[in-house]
Amino acid sequence: MNKVVPDVNGDAPSQIAAIRQGFERSGYICNNQIATSIFLAERLQKPLLVEGPPGVGKTELAKATAELLGKPLIRLQCYEGLDEAKALYEWKYGKQLLYTQVLKEKLGDLMSGAQGLKESISRLHEFDDTFFNEEFLEPRPLLKALWQPGGAVLLIDELDKSDDEFEAFLLEILSDYQISIPELGTIKARTTPIVFLTSNNSREIGDALKRRCLHLYIPFPDTELEQRIIRARVPEVEERLRNQLVAFVQGLRALDLKKLPAVSETIDWARTLVLLHARELDAELVRDTLNVLLKFQDDIENVDSEINALTTKALAAS
Amino acid sequence: MTEVLGDFIRALRAADVRVSTSESIDAGRVVDLVGLGEREILRHALSQVLAKTEDEKQAFRDTFDRYFAFDQFKAKSETSTQQQGDAEREPNAGETQNGSGGMPGPGGGGTEGQPSGGAPAPQDLVAMLEGGDQAALQMALAEAARQAQLNRIRLFTQRGMYTRRMMEIMGLDALNDEIERRESGDPKGAERLSDARDALREQVRDYVEKQLEIFTANAGRQLREEVLSQVRLSNVDRSDMKIMRALVAKMAKRLVALHSRRKKVEKRGQLDMRRTIRANVEFDGLFFHTIWKQQKIDRPKVMAICDVSGSVAQVARFLLMFLYSLQEVLPRVRSFAFSGQLGETTELFERERDIEKALARALMEHGGGSTDYGQAFLDFERLALDDVDHRTTVLILGDARSNYGNPRGDILKKIHARARRVIWLNPEPRSLWNSGDSEMKRLAPYCDTAKTCASLKDLERVISELLRHAT
Repeated sequence: MNKVVPDVNGDAPSQIAAIRQGFERSGYICNNQIATSIFLAERLQKPLLVEGPPGVGKTELAKATAELLGKPLIRLQCYEGLDEAKALYEWKYGKQLLYTQVLKEKLGDLMSGAQGLKESISRLHEFDDTFFNEEFLEPRPLLKALWQPGGAVLLIDELDKSDDEFEAFLLEILSDYQISIPELGTIKARTTPIVFLTSNNSREIGDALKRRCLHLYIPFPDTELEQRIIRARVPEVEERLRNQLVAFVQGLRALDLKKLPAVSETIDWARTLVLLHARELDAELVRDTLNVLLKFQDDIENVDSEINALTTKALAAS
Repeated sequence: MTEVLGDFIRALRAADVRVSTSESIDAGRVVDLVGLGEREILRHALSQVLAKTEDEKQAFRDTFDRYFAFDQFKAKSETSTQQQGDAEREPNAGETQNGSGGMPGPGGGGTEGQPSGGAPAPQDLVAMLEGGDQAALQMALAEAARQAQLNRIRLFTQRGMYTRRMMEIMGLDALNDEIERRESGDPKGAERLSDARDALREQVRDYVEKQLEIFTANAGRQLREEVLSQVRLSNVDRSDMKIMRALVAKMAKRLVALHSRRKKVEKRGQLDMRRTIRANVEFDGLFFHTIWKQQKIDRPKVMAICDVSGSVAQVARFLLMFLYSLQEVLPRVRSFAFSGQLGETTELFERERDIEKALARALMEHGGGSTDYGQAFLDFERLALDDVDHRTTVLILGDARSNYGNPRGDILKKIHARARRVIWLNPEPRSLWNSGDSEMKRLAPYCDTAKTCASLKDLERVISELLRHAT
């Protein structure tokens, strides 16, 4: 297994720090906890199950890791009804049919000179394997990730949306990095891929799967981390406004809302404010742009009465 | 280290974190990988292999902080990791490496790979006390804890025994002899030593108490929960309400996890022509692959009719608590409360987030007055009978004691005819049914099931059943 950052051979803490810095260079700001999980996932060769509220950068983490390691990112979006044919492989039936046609035409040539039925059949048997070989296999994301010669980052997104059966089917891949295709046998990974699974907790993931994974929970970031994220993602925002808007969002998360604003919403809001040439938060501005942060009409109405207080607090905090 | 890790995992299990064997092995690999140098990193790393839900992460953090607290003999321990070697003058060569029974802070990475720490010889204890070698004392203490098998402590009454045993292992007898010997020649020295002995005993007791807390913190609560889930709800003490509420939430969460998937049934025999043709295009239109029509199973519509008069109110409280904790899998619950007259409380519960407050309101509005099942059914007929359809499950909770009034079985018959199922939950034991003014005999024929439901366990079973047969 190659090192995360080739020029660092130090002990674990320095490597973890190196991962964090590597992420920062590519614009993904994270804390030590997340960096530690990447380090472990890579070293223990275990899949990483990432949970947390929507919009805290679960998918982004996989993308950043792929970039950091210089490996291709292969993504599998889960949904209800996802099955093997779409996740793993499919036979190219069309091509197989065509092949049969060709074979039929050439059958005469092939059989010429064959003595009796027995020999004809044994000649035919020589072509048996050609129908089910890798030539006719259409790899889907999971197989593609196993076949990638230099290794890959495999992202299985929103696992909680898939069916129970699919979860069970993943177990073989996740623990041994191999899959079984009835016609071909077991296919092993050429290079062990780094696997990310994400879940929004719309249902509980099974214990068997959890046991095979490392588990990372990404909560909403604290003030300091969120400020750094905004600085990296929306560098155009001036420091004062940045502090204010982060303080406001943090205040908003303390309220009882249907859907709390996540980091992605904060970034969108920061971009909105930049577009509006805002220099400072005020209640009016917040009210006009609140729909960027909150996605439910109920929430917007509930927050309305709190806006003044929250804005004042945010201004005081900066 | 493996021993420490093993103990730590035991402590985690005591704190309700589920750790499997394979996860313990992973934890060992993680420790090898990240080392013991940095506490924060070790904590993050271990939490990723050992704690796999949000609740477990929280429990993990608490246990980690408590378990790897390193405040005993704080005075000099920071400067003296090197001296620890000196304290181990008499290594028992056969011992496993690093004989620290309980609390080596991860910061003490220096202990790894040192010669094994056997019990210090008795004279060492005197030397250590006189020399004030705190780090050595810490080591000796940990070693004594290991030998005394302190990690097996389960009851608080065992504290004294463990303290004494540990003192003995550390060399109490020799220390006492030494004190006695000095008393004749060097009374001051003897006094100093006996003070030191007393202080040491305090420290040992402290240590034992901390360990007791780590390993048994939750045992009491677990036992309590176990008992409470089976006790008759009407006998639950007010002071246990908080635990009960938490328990309901926990059970509800488990039920949600079990039943949150929407089920489908295949209607075998009915071909889904459209999807079959599409799926078989690649076979040249030959039907290799047949797809049958499926039907999504609807979530059950539940109407709960609760008697909230004195005798049943307590059970009603928990039933409603349950039903409203299941919003995710039972989105359409309508609830009705009655004692004399019946009123709908659906809106009340939906508006009021605090279920206790809503309950109090419901009890105030509909509680009191003498129970009259006939009137209640009449009111229900007027209010909601039209909405009862073949998908509705009607839950009735009550003791069927109608104060000798007509219970109006005819209305229940109507409800039964329309509803998918009628379930009667009676908090009284079956032997009391039909005694006195109980009308179970006249009402039960119109119910699909009638059962006793007196404890949380019963409630959980009923609701689990309700969800399983949801159609």
